[in-house]
Amino acid sequence: MLLTTSVGSLPKPDYLMKARSQARKGETSASALRELEERATRDWIRFQEEVGMDIIVDGEQYRGDMVAYFAEQLGGFRQSELVRSYGNRYYRKPIIAGPVKRLRPITVEWWRFAQGLTSRPVKGMLTGPYTIMDWSFNEHYPSRRAATLAIAQVVREEARDLERAGAQYIQVDEPAISTRPEEMDLAIEALGVVTKGLRAQTITHICYGDFKTIGPKLHRLPVDQIDLEFANRNFELLRFFKGRRFAKAVGLGVVDVHSHRIEPVDEVIANLKKALKVFKPEQIYVDPDCGLKTRTPEEAQEKLRVVVQAARAVRESLVN
Amino acid sequence: MITTVVGSYPKVAEQGYGTGLIGARNKWQRKEWTDAQLERTCQEITRSVIQEEETAGLDLLTDGQIRWEDLVTPIARGLDGFEINGLTRWFDNNVYYRRPILHKAPRRRGPILVDDYRFATRCTRRPVKAVLPGPYTFARVSEDRHYRSERKFVLKLAELLNDEARALAQAGAPVVQFDEPALGLADANVRLALEALREATKGVKAKTAVYVYFGSLDGTLSALMRSSVDLVGVDVVSDPRTLSALKKTKITKELGLACLDARNTKLESVTELHALFDLIKKRVPLDRVTVSPNCGLEFLPHTQALAKLRQLVKAVRSYRPAT
Repeated sequence: MLLTTSVGSLPKPDYLMKARSQARKGETSASALRELEERATRDWIRFQEEVGMDIIVDGEQYRGDMVAYFAEQLGGFRQSELVRSYGNRYYRKPIIAGPVKRLRPITVEWWRFAQGLTSRPVKGMLTGPYTIMDWSFNEHYPSRRAATLAIAQVVREEARDLERAGAQYIQVDEPAISTRPEEMDLAIEALGVVTKGLRAQTITHICYGDFKTIGPKLHRLPVDQIDLEFANRNFELLRFFKGRRFAKAVGLGVVDVHSHRIEPVDEVIANLKKALKVFKPEQIYVDPDCGLKTRTPEEAQEKLRVVVQAARAVRESLVN
Repeated sequence: MITTVVGSYPKVAEQGYGTGLIGARNKWQRKEWTDAQLERTCQEITRSVIQEEETAGLDLLTDGQIRWEDLVTPIARGLDGFEINGLTRWFDNNVYYRRPILHKAPRRRGPILVDDYRFATRCTRRPVKAVLPGPYTFARVSEDRHYRSERKFVLKLAELLNDEARALAQAGAPVVQFDEPALGLADANVRLALEALREATKGVKAKTAVYVYFGSLDGTLSALMRSSVDLVGVDVVSDPRTLSALKKTKITKELGLACLDARNTKLESVTELHALFDLIKKRVPLDRVTVSPNCGLEFLPHTQALAKLRQLVKAVRSYRPAT
């Protein structure tokens, strides 16, 4: 109960950031970059083991944007020039320019590498079809629906391959799912295409949600566990679940990933105890609100440590 | 028909005026650069954007909102009483903004956009319009911890925006535009929004416009035709119901036909734009129509944003209405 994990991305160390930017300019070779990505992955896995994380992530040291990473490896996508996401942050928003095809497995080799470094389970991490569609331009498919369902097929192939490789947990992130209430059913249908028949525990992470619209449909998401951000909304989301019997497992985001502040362990313990009034202990997975990649490596480590310490303390108090 | 943009334009252009703003902002954030140094970069890019708009053949320009993080932050920062808070999704886009929170009665310290507006007019001989967030949208994307009353909050914002609108008109803006994307939300309080718009446009000595984009205007369009503005800008791209509504509504204002998708890179053909003009011509005289993309062009990469601008001008210039 109260198993601890992370949502997916972890910050890249400075040496890797530098190498990535050099690689973009052609100043570093792919194999040299790869070596550094492996080193950073190794370090993050060792760190997670040391602090006592139960379910490990590879930290996505080899990925940039969560949609662009997949788009770059799929057939049918073209890269765009920079567009702004917020503040002073820009990214290359993919363009769907032709039929979407999976040319080869995308994440399986990295998953194998990571799982080879630890005896604890490593999650398979994918981006969901609706989010890939919503975060891309579409010049090829006649509708958003057609694009989403075509992408669902390739994400499904990838999920199957991860399961075949041995992944016990497969997370399919859909942060865009709450963007357009009228398309929530499409997002659910597409996610169902991905998860259908998988025996691994399936998880989806949702953030920036307008809860009024997605809340009532959460139980229909075709996954075993739903991971949500609780910390950056002062745990107000708990109110939504109060008094309902929610049958799925819940990933409980207990530290805010958008703030530099390191939450005191006691604060997280108190919030976990609040959550225990709403959920059963075996239903809860404890993690940060979202991927930690925008924090500094030190901040991310501190926050992960707090997650584990708080979960442990609450677990012990439950046992005694 | 005249051509315009709704407001924003890409801040970086790898195939154009470069990506200097990213580094400039980083240096400014780290306090290695002064406000004046950042402003110089913003001015250079603004000048390039205006030049692009001019060269593309646009009739009515904007400054591209190069200094703006989003529609509301520049105004919220110019008012006392707001704190700029956490990241929130900007309507139904994969774009985020920082939500302003009102802690005390807001106060306008002085003109907010007037210097920027004056700078833009010095870059071109063509008319430049001034753009402000509409009071209702401003309130909807903010959090009110002071009045705790939507009506009081919206009307107070209308009063402050009116001060700014008057100042911009005084500075020479031929058009003052209010952006009200929140009017496209399913649960929009249309009556309050229009009451606030009346306050915001009161005594503004310029042509006034409202642009509504992203959502659906089904059900709202006829009310907008009774609003206090001279021109109603309608996004006919985002939701097909809006165009159906437009076909059924008596158009008693100037029409802003916001019809190129500024949220998708796929370029509209001149033929399909002409078909749309044919349709609109039956509803409103074309000399009362202003054509534009459906929303700010900043959602697009620069190359495609510029392509849309050129296509817009090409479609309008080559249009010969069948008689």
